[in-house]
Amino acid sequence: MLVMNNITKVFRTETVETHALKQFSLTVNEGDFVAVTGPSGSGKTTFLNIAGLLESFDDGEYTLDGRSVKNLNDKQLSQLRNEKIGFIFQSFNLIPDLNLFDNVDVPLRYRKLSKAERKERIEHSLDVVGLANRMRHLPSQLSGGQQQRVAIARALAGNPLFLLADEPTGNLDSKMADSVMSLLEEINQSGTTIVMVTHDLSQAERAHRHIQVLDGQVTEQKRGAPELATVNA
Amino acid sequence: MSQIGPIFRALMRNKVGALLIALQVAVTMTIIVNAIHLINARGDLMGRSSGLDEANQFYVTSVGYANDFDAPYVIDTDLGGIRQLPSVDDAVQINAIPMSNGGWSMGLQTKAGEGENSVPTALYMTDEHGLNTLDVELIAGENFKATEISYRDRNTRDWPQSVILTEALAKSLFPDLSPTEIVGQTVYIQSNEPLTIIGIMDHLQAPWTGWTTVNHSMLVPNKFDSPYSRYLVRAKPGQREQAIEQVEQFMKQREVGRMVRETETMTQVRMDSYRGDSALQAILWTIIVVLCIITALGIVGLVSFSINRRRRQIGTRRALGAQKADIMSYFLTENVMITSVGVILGIAGSIALNMWLVSSFNLPRLSYIYLPIAMIAMWTIGLFAVWGPALRAAQISPAIATRNV
Ligand SMILES: Nc1ncnc2c1ncn2[C@@H]1O[C@H](COP(=O)(O)OP(=O)(O)O)[C@@H](O)[C@H]1O
Ligand SMILES: [Mg+2]
Repeated sequence: MLVMNNITKVFRTETVETHALKQFSLTVNEGDFVAVTGPSGSGKTTFLNIAGLLESFDDGEYTLDGRSVKNLNDKQLSQLRNEKIGFIFQSFNLIPDLNLFDNVDVPLRYRKLSKAERKERIEHSLDVVGLANRMRHLPSQLSGGQQQRVAIARALAGNPLFLLADEPTGNLDSKMADSVMSLLEEINQSGTTIVMVTHDLSQAERAHRHIQVLDGQVTEQKRGAPELATVNA
Repeated sequence: MSQIGPIFRALMRNKVGALLIALQVAVTMTIIVNAIHLINARGDLMGRSSGLDEANQFYVTSVGYANDFDAPYVIDTDLGGIRQLPSVDDAVQINAIPMSNGGWSMGLQTKAGEGENSVPTALYMTDEHGLNTLDVELIAGENFKATEISYRDRNTRDWPQSVILTEALAKSLFPDLSPTEIVGQTVYIQSNEPLTIIGIMDHLQAPWTGWTTVNHSMLVPNKFDSPYSRYLVRAKPGQREQAIEQVEQFMKQREVGRMVRETETMTQVRMDSYRGDSALQAILWTIIVVLCIITALGIVGLVSFSINRRRRQIGTRRALGAQKADIMSYFLTENVMITSVGVILGIAGSIALNMWLVSSFNLPRLSYIYLPIAMIAMWTIGLFAVWGPALRAAQISPAIATRNV
């Protein structure tokens, strides 16, 4: 359902050209939990941005849910992001001036959902991440781990086809990181596809698949058994 | 527009900047409303009719210098000659020019005696050509007869018997009588000297445009025996230029021991008279424009600042599915909210400032029609100012949500 074929991405500035992705090819199937590792600057975020329709690419084919995204306009891309993709960011990216309820509401507001339905979805997804009782709190009143949980609730509330997470535990201490990781595993087990960039190899081991990006290309790809992940947990 | 609730709640967490802009809008609106009110009040003053045919009138001044200068002879022959000129409709000698801010005033009273109530009025001395030259209509009674006209000089103390009053003056002397009933009534000048009202004219302003009783004028059938003399000339419609030329030429070629000086059109007299008011209007307009620009710049500044501070948030919203139009509408909505608070404060401020102006400077009360107009103006300025920054905000790439900048 996420198929990238020979994707090329070049960043051009006045002085340099950076080939961030070179002939990048990857297929992610429904229900997958894919961990992406690789050295800094290897192109992981660029891959995630393209996968999440945040960035355009220069060459190649990208088919999302059976639909080529190449010629879509900004409005169509926005709608696809809104309906099919849930984002989780390293620094949470919650809106500091909005309480948890309103934060989770943000993507829902960009759809034509009834107020009652939005409310139900917000309450449900905050419940899933264990923060239903903190709905009126501001992000600044929560710990980092809790904030990331809110961000996960926000990503889930829209019922996305898959979650894209860029170092979701990168700003968390190991205890909080572990609980966020467990939450993602639960979400994956209930059917949501996840693609997660991480620099933590033990986390990568817990995913179904572990791919490595090196210099803009998928250089290594090994299948880890789900049983192994459970053993390591 | 589906974002009103959260926009408002987010705004409430960043009150200071928003409140400053709202206050700026309120102050601007308060000043604009009252400035426009003042401009219009001045405009109303400037727009009042003088009662004259200003477009076709001018005056010319004659100053006798010869030892044997015979003023009555020169005046009568001047007027006789001027009235014959092809471009001239009519002409009179007159002691004061309406709107010129120089003239004579007297008090009239309905009962004889010192200490009785008297009503102030401007006094114009003209002959029987006065009504036509001034372009004033009689609404009751009749004009002076040629035989009634007498010469007076500096030492003359008593007054001719008949006078013509403006309707406003007549009404103020006899509030209960109709113009026809007022004709024939007696009024007293200089406490005890009786005058008979022979005619009521529709409208003629006094020379002083700032006078509270500017519509009180009367004509007396006098000419003034003095080497210094002013003729008011009414040209035939559209022929003022030719008339000025012909009158000056006619007067200058007469060798009667005088100089011809100072020709001024009534259009010029009006402009001079209201120069201060025009200047005030121009200053107020300048203030309005400058304030609007400052307010717009203030909004541009605040919105640009808040957009720069919220770049990541905007990118995140885009990543979560906001379209460019959603980002635009976010900032436009936020701006309308801030401006609306300012506008509401502005209404209160406008009314308060006007009440103060009314009580302190005796200015007219504000017409409430200015308020909705100013509200729309402030909203428009707000939207206009926020448009550019909001457009730039909409261009922020969703990719910055994941980039650590
Ligand atoms: N907006 C950009 N402009 C120019 N170069 C960029 C931009 N974004 C990323 N790059 C470059 O592309 C390469 C890949 O970056 P990125 O995908 O962020 O790597 P990673 O996430 O693996 O650290 C890096 O060399 C980075 O400097
Ligand atoms: Mg990265």
